Amino acid sequence: MSDQRIFARYKASEIRTDLQTIDVKKIKSSVTKRKHALRKIIANLTLGNYVEMVVLFPDILKFWQIEDDLEVKRICHEYVRTIGALKPRFVIDAMPSIRNDLRSNNEQLQIMALETLVGIPFFKFTDEAFNFIMTMINKRSSSPALMKSAVYSLLQLDEWDHERVMTLLGVLHGIFEDHVGLPTVQVAALKTLYTLHDKTKNLKPLHISVDTALDLLGLIPQLNEWDVSNLLECLVTVVVPQTHDDSYDMIDIVLPQLQHVNTSVALKSLEFIVYLLNYVDEISETVVDRLSNSILTLLEKPPELQFLILRNIILLLLTREKPVVKLEVSYFFVEYNDPIYIKDTKLECLYLLANSNTLPQILDELEQYSTDIDIQMSRKAVRAIGNLAVKLGAEAAETCVDVLMNLLEFGVDYVVQEIISVFRNILRRYPDRFQSDVRAIVEYIDCAQVAESKNAMIWIICNYSHLLPNYIELFEVFCSNIKSETLDVQFSILNSAIKFFVRDPSPRLENMCLRLFNFLTEDVNNPDLRSRAFLYWRLLSISKERVDILTPEVLKEIVDGELPVIELNTKLDQNVLEELELNIGTVTSVYLKPTGQIFHTAKTKHLKDSPVLNSEKGHLKIIKQDENEGPKYETTLENKGVIRQKLQRNSTMNDYDRPAEKVNELKGKRKSSTNNASKLARKPSLLMRKFSLKKKF
Amino acid sequence: MSSVLYILDENLETLISKNIKAVPSLEYPIAQFKKLYGSNAPPVIDYHDLFTFTYIQRDSLLFVSVVDRVDTGLVETLVYLEHFYEVLKNYLGVKVLDKNIVTDNSVLISELIEETIDFGAIQVTDSGLLADYIKMKVNLPERVGESADLGASSDSDSDSDHPGKHKHKHKHKHKGKGKKGAQTGMGDSEKNEIEDLTQRAKKITGDPLMLLGGSKKKKNKKKLVNDLDFLMQEEEEFNFLNSDIAKTTIMPISWRTKGIHYAKNEFFLNVIEKVEYFMDFTQNVIKKNLIHGEIRCKCFLSGMPNLKVSINKIVNEDKQFLANCKFHQCVSLASLESSDHKDVEFVPPDGEFTLCRYELKRHVRDEPMVKLVNFEVKPKLKKFKLKLLLTIETHFKTTNATSKLALRVPIKQLFREYRVDLSKNLKSKCDRGAILFNISDDFLLWEVGSMSGGHGETQLSMGVEFALFNQEEYDREQEMLKTSMNPPPLREGPKLEELYKQIHEDDDDDDGNTEPVAEHRLQPRTREIDKLLTMDFEVPYCTSSGLRVEYLKIEEPQLEYQSFPWVRYTTLSDAEYAYLIY
Repeated sequence: MSDQRIFARYKASEIRTDLQTIDVKKIKSSVTKRKHALRKIIANLTLGNYVEMVVLFPDILKFWQIEDDLEVKRICHEYVRTIGALKPRFVIDAMPSIRNDLRSNNEQLQIMALETLVGIPFFKFTDEAFNFIMTMINKRSSSPALMKSAVYSLLQLDEWDHERVMTLLGVLHGIFEDHVGLPTVQVAALKTLYTLHDKTKNLKPLHISVDTALDLLGLIPQLNEWDVSNLLECLVTVVVPQTHDDSYDMIDIVLPQLQHVNTSVALKSLEFIVYLLNYVDEISETVVDRLSNSILTLLEKPPELQFLILRNIILLLLTREKPVVKLEVSYFFVEYNDPIYIKDTKLECLYLLANSNTLPQILDELEQYSTDIDIQMSRKAVRAIGNLAVKLGAEAAETCVDVLMNLLEFGVDYVVQEIISVFRNILRRYPDRFQSDVRAIVEYIDCAQVAESKNAMIWIICNYSHLLPNYIELFEVFCSNIKSETLDVQFSILNSAIKFFVRDPSPRLENMCLRLFNFLTEDVNNPDLRSRAFLYWRLLSISKERVDILTPEVLKEIVDGELPVIELNTKLDQNVLEELELNIGTVTSVYLKPTGQIFHTAKTKHLKDSPVLNSEKGHLKIIKQDENEGPKYETTLENKGVIRQKLQRNSTMNDYDRPAEKVNELKGKRKSSTNNASKLARKPSLLMRKFSLKKKF
Repeated sequence: MSSVLYILDENLETLISKNIKAVPSLEYPIAQFKKLYGSNAPPVIDYHDLFTFTYIQRDSLLFVSVVDRVDTGLVETLVYLEHFYEVLKNYLGVKVLDKNIVTDNSVLISELIEETIDFGAIQVTDSGLLADYIKMKVNLPERVGESADLGASSDSDSDSDHPGKHKHKHKHKHKGKGKKGAQTGMGDSEKNEIEDLTQRAKKITGDPLMLLGGSKKKKNKKKLVNDLDFLMQEEEEFNFLNSDIAKTTIMPISWRTKGIHYAKNEFFLNVIEKVEYFMDFTQNVIKKNLIHGEIRCKCFLSGMPNLKVSINKIVNEDKQFLANCKFHQCVSLASLESSDHKDVEFVPPDGEFTLCRYELKRHVRDEPMVKLVNFEVKPKLKKFKLKLLLTIETHFKTTNATSKLALRVPIKQLFREYRVDLSKNLKSKCDRGAILFNISDDFLLWEVGSMSGGHGETQLSMGVEFALFNQEEYDREQEMLKTSMNPPPLREGPKLEELYKQIHEDDDDDDGNTEPVAEHRLQPRTREIDKLLTMDFEVPYCTSSGLRVEYLKIEEPQLEYQSFPWVRYTTLSDAEYAYLIY
C-alpha cells in the first residue's frame, strides 16, 4: 500500500492522537503505527509545516527515552536537527537524550548524536560536541568510523566557533602525518585541514612535504573511491615538488587512477597530473596519450557529466599553448539529441581545436549544423565559421568564406542575417580580401532585419561603397526608416551618413545629412545620440566655414579614419590561466572565470614556487617514443613497479643511467612466460569447462 | 560539498529535502532554483554569490544539490548525484523512479543521504555496502494480481500494514550465527526463503504446525510469511545491529563484508559488447563504428575469494584496449600494470557489479556485424507500383547466429514523395521472418529472428511493394460508382488508408497544440529518425572486438571450496545502429 497519506499536511493534534492512542496497548502492530505517525512528522517537516510540528516536541522526547529502535532514534534526531536549525534554544531539552546516545556503545547512534550536536547552532550543543571530540582524540582507541565523522564535523563546527577549531589544527596535522592511523581517517583529516585553510582568509595555504604526500599516495590502494578523489583534490598546490623526480614519481603513482570508473577520481587525477606538469621539464608522449584517452572515455557519460568534462577540456585547451592533450575533432561533433548546453560547449571545443589540418573536417560539420532545423544551433554554427575565419589566418579564411557563400544560397532568413554579421568581422580582419564577395552579400540587404545584421550591412555598404554603384540608394532605404530603428542602428546610420558626405560632399548627400541632423537633434530622446548628432553637425559646419582650421583632409581623418584590424583574442591573462588550470573540475571550469570573480570570498590558488617550476608553460617538451629504445611505456611501468614495491622515491633516478636493453630483455622473458601461462591454462579440466560454457546459458 | 540536497518532482515540488550543513532555511534556496531553472539550463546554475545549484534530471525527478559559500568541487557533486540515483534505484528495486515511490520511502531516502554524505564529504555510494547499514523495508506500491509472486529481487512486502519483511535483516542474522543453512542469495527462489523462514519459525515458536504452511499453495505461503514476520519482529529488533559490519567502509577492502557464505559457490562473468554503428548509406560513408563493452559479473562466493581473470586483450597488450578501459574499484589498478603476468586480480564485491567498461573504436574497414548491402526504392510509375528492396548480410563466425534480429525501415519519406494508395494491399516478401507495417509511426518492421553468421555469404533480403495512386483508375471507378446500380465492391480487412488518414490528422493537431519548447526539442529527433534504418540484434557467444577471457581462477585460501565460474559473451546492437538511407 502506498504511503501517500503520510505526505500530507497534518495538524499536530492529529498526529498526537495517533501517537497516544496506541500507547495504551502494547501490541506489536502499534509499534508500526507509531512509526507511521513519526514518519508523518518527518514528512510534514519536509513540507515545511514547522509551526504545527514544533508542538510535538514533548512527545518526541518521550519516545526518544523509551524506544530503542534505530529508526525511531533516527526520526528523533532528524526532528531535533530540523527544528534546531531554526530555533536552537527551543530544543535544549533534548540534550540529555542526545548525550545518552553519544555515550551508547552503538557506533551508528554515536555518529548520529554527534551530527545532531554539530547541526544546531547553539553554544551548549557546540560545547558538548567539542568535548566529545577532544575526549575521542585523546583516547586514540576510538573506532575509525566515529573518528572520521568527528574529523569531518569540524568543518561544520568551524561555522559556529571558528577560534576553537583553529586550536585543533595541530591535532589534525598529527592525524594525517601519523602512519599508524587508518588511511580513511588520514584522508579525512587532510581534507578537513585543506578546506579549513581554504576557507580562512588569514591562514596561509596548507603545505605538506613531498615525503608525506608520497606516503599518502601510497595509501591509494587501501582507500575507497571517494577518499581517493578527496586525497587527489587536496594535494593540488598543497604539495610542491622540489625536483623533477618528485613530480615524475607522483605522476607515475597517479597515472593508473585515470582509469578509475568513478569520474570524480579520474578527473581529479587528471587535475593533479596537469598540476604536476608545471614542475617537470619534459614528459613522455605516453603520458599525453593516456591523459587524452582518459578524457575521451569520460565523454561517454550522462549529459550533465559530459557537460562538465567538455568545459574542462576547454579549460585545458585554453591554458596551454601546446596542449598536453591530443584530441580528435570527431569526438566533439554535435549529435542531434544532445542537450543545448552540450551543443554549445562542443562548438566551443571545435573552435578551439581548429587548426589548418582539422579545418576542412570541422567546416564540413559546421556547414551541416548551419542548415539544422534548430534555429539557435544554425546561427551559432554560422557564427563559429566566421570566428574561425578570423582566427585562423588568410588561407583558412578563404575556405571559410567559400562555405559561407554556399550557405548564403541556402537563403533562410536567420542564416543569411548571421552571415552578414560575421562577414563584417571577416572584412575587418582582412580588409583587402573578399571584395569580390561584397556585392553578393549586399544583394541580401532585405534579409537584414535584426539590429546586428543591419548594423553589419550598413557598415559593409559604407566601407565598400566604391564597389557598389548604387550605394546611395541602398543607404537611403535605411535612412528613411531611421525612426523605427533601434539605438545602435541609428548610431551607425548617422556615422555612415557622415562618412559618405565627407568622401563625396554632393548636394544630395548634404541634404540627407541635414535631414538626419534635424531628426536626430529634435525628435530623438536619447541624449547620447543627440549630442553625437550635434557634434557632427558642428564639425561639418566648421569645416565648411573655416577651411583654415579644419581642412577636408583632417576632417576625413577624424570621421573616416583607418580602422585597426581586429583580432580574436582568446588569450587570457597568465595569472588567470594559471588559476583556471588549478581549478579543473570546479565551478571555475563552467564559467571560465577565476574563482575570485565568482565567489568574492574565495581564495585564489597559485602555483607555489619551487626550483623546478616552469616559468613558461610552453617550455614543456613532449618526447616522442624512440623506436630503437623500445617502447618507453614499458620502461616507465617497470620503474613504477619498483616504486610500488619499495615506496622509495629516488628509484627513477637510479634506473635512469642503467642500460635500457637490460630492462627490455627482462621484459621479453616475462612476456614469453605469460604466453606459457596461457597455454598452461588449457589443462584438460579447464578445457572441459570452456566447452561446457555455452550450454549453461 | 553540498549543503542541501533536494529531490524534486517534474513540477519542481520538493519531495525530499535534506539539510546537510545546517542551512537556516530550506525553502529559500530552492525557491531561487525554481526561478533559475529552465528546460535548457546547463546542469550548473549560479545564483549570485550565494549558491551554486548542481542538478541532474533522471526519470521524472530532479536531483538538486545546493552548494553554498566557497566550495567549488563540482565534479564530485555531479558524480555523487549520479551515483545516488543508481543507489536509489538499486535500493528501491525499481527500474524507473517516480514521485510516489520517493515519497513513500522518504525516511529511507533521507537515511541513505545521511549515510552517503557526511558533513558534505561523500562517504560511500556502493549500494551493496549501504545495504549493510540501512536495513529498512522498501515500500513499494501494490501491483494488482502480482501479489502472489514476490520477486526475490525486490525486498518488498507489498502490504505495508503488516510489519515489513526485512530481508536484509534475515540475511544478516545468518551471518551473525554463521551456522544456519544456506544463505539466501540474490538469485534464490522464493521457495528457499520460505523454507528458511519456516525453519526459523519452528525455532522461535516451537510450533510444528507452521511447517505445514510451507508446503501449501503459494497464497498461503505469503500469508505465512507475514505471520512469521509478525512473530519475528520482536526478535529482530534486538538483533538489529551488528557492529562488525560498520567497519567495512574503513577497511582496505571496503566493498566486501566478511562472513559471506553460499552453499554453492558460483561466479558469473558476462562480457557484453554493444556495437554502435552509423553509416550514411546514400554517400557510402561510415560515420561511426564503435564498441561499448562491459564485463558484468555476478558473484555468489563465500569468504574473501581472490579472483584472477586473464583477458586476451591485456595479455596481448592491446594499446587501445588498455587506454580505454575503466575498472571497478575492486581492481587494483597499479597491480594491473606492473604485475609480470598480466591478469586482472581482484576481490569481488558480493552480488552484481561491473568489473570493467571499455570503449573501442573499430577500423572503418571492419565490417559491421550485420550489414546492409542493398537498399533500393524502385518506382514503377507506369504500373503505379513502388518497390522497396533491401538485403542484409552477416559478418561474424559461421558457428554463431543472432538470437534476435529486427530491422526498422522508415517509410515516411516514401509517403511524402509518392502518393501511396493504401486502399490496395501491399505485397511483401522476405526470406525469413515476418514483415510488419506500423501505420502510426510509418515504418516497416522486419523481424528476422535467427540469422546465422558468415562473412558476406549469408544474405537475406526482403521486398515490399506499394500501390501508387492511380488518378485515371480512381476517376473511372468513381464514374462507375455514380452510374452503376451495383453497391460498391466489398472490401475485407482493415481500411488502411482511412486509418492512416485518421492517425496523421491527429499528428498534425498535436504538433500545433504542443508548447513551443517541447516541439523544439522533438522536431529534430523525429525528422532524423525518419531517415534512419535501424537494426536491433543480439548475437550470443561472440564478441565483436575479439575479447576473450583466457582463464578465470577463483582462490579462497581459507575455505578452499569448489567453485563454478561461468563465462558468457554477447554482442548487442547499441541504441544507435543505423543506416542513413534517404
